[in-house]
This record gives sequence, structure tokens and C-alpha cells, in this order.
Amino acid sequence: MIEFVSVTKKYPSGAMALDEVNLKIEAGEFVFVVGPSGAGKSTLLKLITREILPTSGQILFNGEDILKIPKNKVHVLRRRIGTVFQDFKLLLTKTVFENVAVPLEVLGVKESEVEKEVSAVLDKVGLLEKADSFPLQLSGGEVQRTSIARAIISKPQVLLADEPTGDLDPKNSLEVIKLIEKINHEDKTTVFMATHNAQIVNHFKKRVITLQKGKIVKDEKEGRYETT
Amino acid sequence: MKQPKETMRLIRRSPYQALAAALAMSLTFFISSIFILLIIGGQIVLNYIEQRPQVIAFFKDNATESQISELSSKVQATGLTTGVKYVSKEEALAIYRERNKNDPLLLESVTADFLPASIDISVKKASDIQNITNIVQGDPQVERVITPQNLVEQLVKWTNTIRIGGIAFVSTLLAVSFLIIIMVIGMRIALRRDEIAIMNLVGATKWYISRPFFIEGALYGVVGASIATFLVYSLLLFYSPNIQNFLGPIQVFPISPLFFVYLWLAEIIAAATIGIVGAAIALFRYLRIE
Repeated sequence: MIEFVSVTKKYPSGAMALDEVNLKIEAGEFVFVVGPSGAGKSTLLKLITREILPTSGQILFNGEDILKIPKNKVHVLRRRIGTVFQDFKLLLTKTVFENVAVPLEVLGVKESEVEKEVSAVLDKVGLLEKADSFPLQLSGGEVQRTSIARAIISKPQVLLADEPTGDLDPKNSLEVIKLIEKINHEDKTTVFMATHNAQIVNHFKKRVITLQKGKIVKDEKEGRYETT
Repeated sequence: MKQPKETMRLIRRSPYQALAAALAMSLTFFISSIFILLIIGGQIVLNYIEQRPQVIAFFKDNATESQISELSSKVQATGLTTGVKYVSKEEALAIYRERNKNDPLLLESVTADFLPASIDISVKKASDIQNITNIVQGDPQVERVITPQNLVEQLVKWTNTIRIGGIAFVSTLLAVSFLIIIMVIGMRIALRRDEIAIMNLVGATKWYISRPFFIEGALYGVVGASIATFLVYSLLLFYSPNIQNFLGPIQVFPISPLFFVYLWLAEIIAAATIGIVGAAIALFRYLRIE
């Protein structure tokens, strides 16, 4: 599904974010990417959505080299990927319903269909009764669940999550990851999550890729995150 | 379509910027309309004067009809005239009587002998008046030549000045409106930075993200041009008696409402184009997405 072939990313400042990274993620997998701050986790995710370009190497999505996608077709790639961020990136002037509806509006889906789809997804993430609330009226966990609802509304093949529990307390963190696991299990959505929350990683016993200074130092099925 | 609604939401979010853009457009097209009307009006006045006899040659009392006819033929042979009309002493008297019919004192004891015969010459171009004047003045039978040369020259000069001044003034206003549109749309893009980033990430096309800004730019143009045309139409309607009084026999009213419909259409097309091009430049300059 996603394959990195000798991918290197060096920022203009000279910082080496990724150094000759090779990895392969199969469809339906749930993968944690762990490592300390600056290890290159976010860079890895941004490369998949083509927010940034690698300095060298190849990134394949369903066998297609995403670097060869013309600029005016990048949106097609992004429609197959849902993204969840640490800082949620919700629009504060829109309600929960309106925030979740954004990807469908972008796709030009009819309003009646949008209504149906959004209600179903909000029900799935347990926020149906909060549909008319604004993000500032929600708890941290609810805000992140709204962000997840927006990420999955267009039924993406892959869900990228960049430190989704970074701003949440342990209880809400656990709930959010359980929700993402449910999405992975029920919808067969591939999940690729960057985190440095060792407790969560060790609790869920999924594949764990450990990055350090831009290099993959460990890649284990049912792995653990040792933070020593 | 949700996007027109989205555009209205954007406008409501910062109405003063929207007002500034629409007013700048209104002012620009109001001044443009005034200049267009002045140029058209000046042309009507010029045409009126050019259609009048522009050179009148009065003959000495002893000039014979054959001598007058000879000069008429000579003038016509230049090919510069649109008409040469002979006015005999009797016809001159009839004209005199018609003009002064309300003033019996002026009519008393005036006979055809008092009035000279003349030829009224209309020229094709105002610039040929001097040539024709030279020809008739050189004839020994001509006593006096009257020509409105100065008036026509002044009018041509004024019309040209209005035209050049108008183009310069309107161009400056257009540039100002254009810059205001770029500035306002640029601010909108900055205000919606987060929203744009999110839309970009969820797979919106560049066109989808840009469209509300194009609609907004065009809207400022359409609203501005419509206000301008309405104002000009109302002012002209209100002041038409005064203008007609000022112009005297030169008939410019009534102006067909169709003219204003065409003016409005032309202005909204021009203004919407400015709005759209301004939005395009702002998007090119400030929208940084892939």
C-alpha cells in the first residue's frame, strides 16, 4: 500500500530529517511510528500526503510513485488519505457538523447526502449530540474525535495520525486510540500513527517502527516503545 | 452550490473591506460614465456645429449671379465641402424677417437692397475651414467672410482634452480599484489561511479553493458598476432640463434607456473583469498551496 524506497529528506536549514528510509506498509495494517522529537516522524507523514517532497528516493502509494503525480492531480491522492493532527486543525468558526462536512463539500457531494454521511460518522465517533457545538465548546477528547470524524468521512484508504494524543490526558488518549483501532478493524482502513506516547504504544501491541535521527532503528510486529 | 454562500459569509466577516472595494469600483465607474457622457455629448455638439454652414461669404452689392455661381463652383471643385447654398438678397430678407418677426421696429424700412447676397458653405472636416476661407476671401466680389473657425477649433480642443484627461484620470482610478481588490482579496486569503490549508489537505482542488475569491472579486465589480450606472442615470434624469437649456438648439435628450442598459452591461463586464483579474493576481501572489 505505502512503500518508502531509500527516502532521504534534508531541509534547507541542513537538518537531516530522514536518511535512506526503507519501509513497507500493507493495506489494513495498524502501524505506530515512534521516536523522540526531531526523529523524523512528522516528516514521514507529510511526505505521504505530499505536503513536502523528499530530497531523494521513491514513495509509492498503491504502487504509484507519488512524486510523479502532476501538481494538479495531488488532490486525488489526498482524497484517499485522512489526516489527524495533534493540534486538531479544526475551523473554530464552523460547528462540529460543518467541520466534518468539509471533505464531502470539497468532493461536491449533494447536501442531502452530506447530512446523512456526517450524521453516520458523528454517531460512530459518539458526537451526534454535539453536531451543532463549536470546537471551543468541546473537551479535548471531543475535539480530537471531531478531527477523526473529518478524517474518515470520505472513507480514505489510509488514516495518518500525527501525535493525535499529544494534547490529551491519558483517559482521552486511550479513547481516541481505541476509536482509531475500531476504524482500522471495522473499515479495514490502514492506520499510520506517529506518537511518542509509550504507554499507548505498549498497550495496543501493534507493529512499531522506531525512528532515531532520521533512520529506522527498529521495526517489530507487536513491538514496544522503550523510552530509556 | 455552497460557494456563493461561502462568498457572502466571507464578505459578512469583514464588511468594511468589502465596502471599500465596492465603493472604489463605484467611484471609478461613476467617473468613467461621466467622462463617457462628456465625450459623447461633446461629439454631438461638434457634429451639430460641423453640420451648420461653417463659412458664409457675403458679396458686394454689384456682384452678379454669374460671378457668385463661378465662386460656388470653384469652392465645390475643391471636394472639401458637403454643400454650398446660394442665399439671394430676397432670401436674406425673408430670413431676416422671420428672425425678427416679433420686433416690428427692426423690420421697418428694411428692403432686400440693404442685405447682401451670400453663399453658405458646409465643409467635410473642421480642419478644412481655413482653406475654404482663403479661397473665398481671395475673390474680389466677396466683401466679408464669417467663419466659426475659432469655435470649432476650441470645441475640438476641449473634446480632445476631455478625452485625454478622462483616459488619464479613469486609468488612475482603475489602477487604484485594481490595487484595492488585490489588497482586499489578499487579506481574505490571509484570514482564511487555516481553512485553506485544511481544504488543501482534504483534497480540494486549487480551483475549488480559489473560486470564492473569484466570485468575490467579480461581485465587487458588478455591485460597483451597477451603483455607478444608477447614479449617473439618476443625475442625468434630474439635470436634463438644465443641460438642455444650456445646449439650446442642440438636441441631446431624451437619451434612450437602451443606451444606459448597454452602458451598464459594458461597465459590469469591465468591472467584473477587473475584479476577477485582481483576485487572480492576489491568489497568484498569496495562495501558497500544492
